[in-house]
Amino acid sequence: MNIDSRAAVRTPEQPALRSGALQLKEVRKRFLFDQRELTVLTGLNLDVRPGEFLSIVGPSGCGKSTLLRLIASLDDDYEGHIALDGRRVAGTSLERGLVFQDHRLFPWMTLEQNVAFALIRRDMSAAARDRLVREHIALVGLSGFEQAYPHQLSGGMSQRAAIARALVNEPKVLLLDEPFGALDALTRVHLQTELQRIWMSQGSTMIMITHDVDEALYLGDRVAVMQAHPGRIAHIVDVDLPHPRDRAAPLLHRLKDDILAELTATDAPRGEAVVPLTRRRPG
Amino acid sequence: MSAARIEEATLRRIVMVASPLAVLLAWQVLSAARVFPPEVLVSPQAVLAAFGQLTASGELARHLGESLQRLLWGFSIGSGAGLLFGLAAALSPTFARLFDPLFQALRQVPVLAFIPLLILLFGIDEVFKIVIIAKAAFFPTALSTLDGVRGVPRAWFEVARIYRTPLPSLVWRVLIPATVPSVLSGVRLSLTRAWLVLVAAELIVADSGIGQMMEMGRQMFRLDVVMVGVVVCGVIGFALDRGFVLLQARLLRWRAQPAGAEA
Ligand SMILES: Nc1ncnc2c1ncn2[C@@H]1O[C@H](COP(=O)(O)OP(=O)(O)O)[C@@H](O)[C@H]1O
Ligand SMILES: [Mg+2]
Repeated sequence: MNIDSRAAVRTPEQPALRSGALQLKEVRKRFLFDQRELTVLTGLNLDVRPGEFLSIVGPSGCGKSTLLRLIASLDDDYEGHIALDGRRVAGTSLERGLVFQDHRLFPWMTLEQNVAFALIRRDMSAAARDRLVREHIALVGLSGFEQAYPHQLSGGMSQRAAIARALVNEPKVLLLDEPFGALDALTRVHLQTELQRIWMSQGSTMIMITHDVDEALYLGDRVAVMQAHPGRIAHIVDVDLPHPRDRAAPLLHRLKDDILAELTATDAPRGEAVVPLTRRRPG
Repeated sequence: MSAARIEEATLRRIVMVASPLAVLLAWQVLSAARVFPPEVLVSPQAVLAAFGQLTASGELARHLGESLQRLLWGFSIGSGAGLLFGLAAALSPTFARLFDPLFQALRQVPVLAFIPLLILLFGIDEVFKIVIIAKAAFFPTALSTLDGVRGVPRAWFEVARIYRTPLPSLVWRVLIPATVPSVLSGVRLSLTRAWLVLVAAELIVADSGIGQMMEMGRQMFRLDVVMVGVVVCGVIGFALDRGFVLLQARLLRWRAQPAGAEA
C-alpha cells in the first residue's frame, strides 16, 4: 500500500467528503448496582470528525469502556443522544466495529474463519468473501497464518487478528478498547506503528481507549482526557502533527507532560482542567 | 535434546506397564507358593488356558457381543437424554426450576439401588438392563452439559452481537463449539459409568453377557473363568476410555492441550 499518497488523502481540509462522523450529546449513563444508582458517565459531549483518530485517556473506572459499549450499542440503556452521520444509533451495526482488550477470537476457529465470521451477515459470493478475508489478514501482516488456531498465535498476533476481524466489514467507525493494554512494551510500540499505517490506508474513523499517554499522543489527531466520579471529558487536546509521526517529536513530549500532570493530580472539580491546555468545547 | 526426549518417552512407557507387570508377578509368585488353594487363587497360566478355551468355543465373543450391544443402547439413550436435559435446563429457567429437585435427589441414589424396583417393572429382560445403564449414563452428561452451556462466557455473545450473528449461526458456530469440551468430558464419564454398571447388573441378573459369564463361572467354581472376565472387563473398559479420549482429542484439535492428556 502506498502510504504517502493515502496520507495525502487524509488531510483535514477534506473531511466533509467522507462519512464516519460521530456525535454524542449530553450522554448520561447510570448503573443500578446493589439497589444503588451509580452515575458512570454524565454530560458527555463529543464530536468525532470523519476519518479522525481520536484517543481517549483517563483514570481506570472513569467509564471509558462503558462509553465505547454505548457507541457500539452493546448497551442501549442510556440518556442523551449518540448519532453516526446524523442518524441515531440503535442496535449493533457493522458500521461500528469494536476491538476488545482481550482479543476475543473464537478458539475453535482458525484465523481465517475468525475473520470471515465478521462477514456472517454480508451477502457476498464465497470468492469475494475469501478475497476480503485474505486482504485484511495481509493488511495486519498475518499472511501465512490463515490456518492457525488462536492458541498458536502470540498475544500481539491475536490482537492483529482481532483488528483484521473488526476491519473486514470496513466499518465507518472502529472502536478500540485498550487493544494493546495486555501486550509487552516492545510489541505494543510495534503494533502502534502498524495501527497508524492501517488507519492511514483505511477510511475508518478510529476511537481508541488507552492508559498509555504516549500511545494516545502518537496515534491521535486529538486526545480526549476523561475524569472520574462521574465520568466525563475534562478536555480535548489537539495533536497538531501530520501522520506518520515521529515518536521523538518535541510536541508529543510536551503534551505528554501536561496530560500526565492532569491525570496524576487529585480529582479536580467538575469541568476544571488542572493544566490549561489548548481547550476546546466539544461540539 | 531429541534423544533425551525419546528416552523420556521410552521411560514413560516402561513406567506405564510396570504396575500391571508387578501385579502379574505377585500373582504368579503367590499362586506358585500355594498361599491359597489353587482352586481359589488360580494361576495366570490357568487363566490364559481358560481364555484360550472361551475364545475357541466362541463363548467369550458371544458374551462380549451381548454386553457391548447393551452398552451401546443404554449409553446412547442415557447420554442423549442427558444432553437434551442439560440443554433444556441451561436454556430454560422454568425447566430448571421444575426438575432440579428431582434431578438432584435421583442423582444421589446409586444405580444399583434401583435394581429391585426395575426388575418388578421391566422383568429381567433386555429393557431392564438398558434402562439401568441409561440411568448411569444420564447424569454425568446432563450435569456437564448444564455447566457447559451456563458457562459460555458472555464475551462470545457480545462478539456475536457485534457482527449481528443470526440465531442458527449463533447456535452452531458459537454456542455448540463453546460447550463441546465440557459436554465431552461428561460423556466420557458417562461411558465409564455405563460400562461399570453394565457388568455389575449382568452379575446380578442376566442370561448372557460378560458379567453373566463371570457369575456362571463363580457358581460352577471355575475361578479361572471368573478371572478371564475380570481381565476382559478391565481391558475393554480401558480401551473404550482410550478410544473416547482419542476421539475427544480429534474433535478438540483447536485446543492447546489435547483433551484428556492428563488421563
Ligand atoms: N454492568 C455494570 N454494572 C454496574 N456497574 C458497572 C457495570 N459496568 C461497569 N460498571 C462500573 O462503571 C464504572 C466504569 O467502568 P468502565 O467503563 O469499565 O471503566 P474504564 O473502562 O474506564 O476502566 C466502574 O466503576 C464500574 O464498576
Ligand atoms: Mg475499560
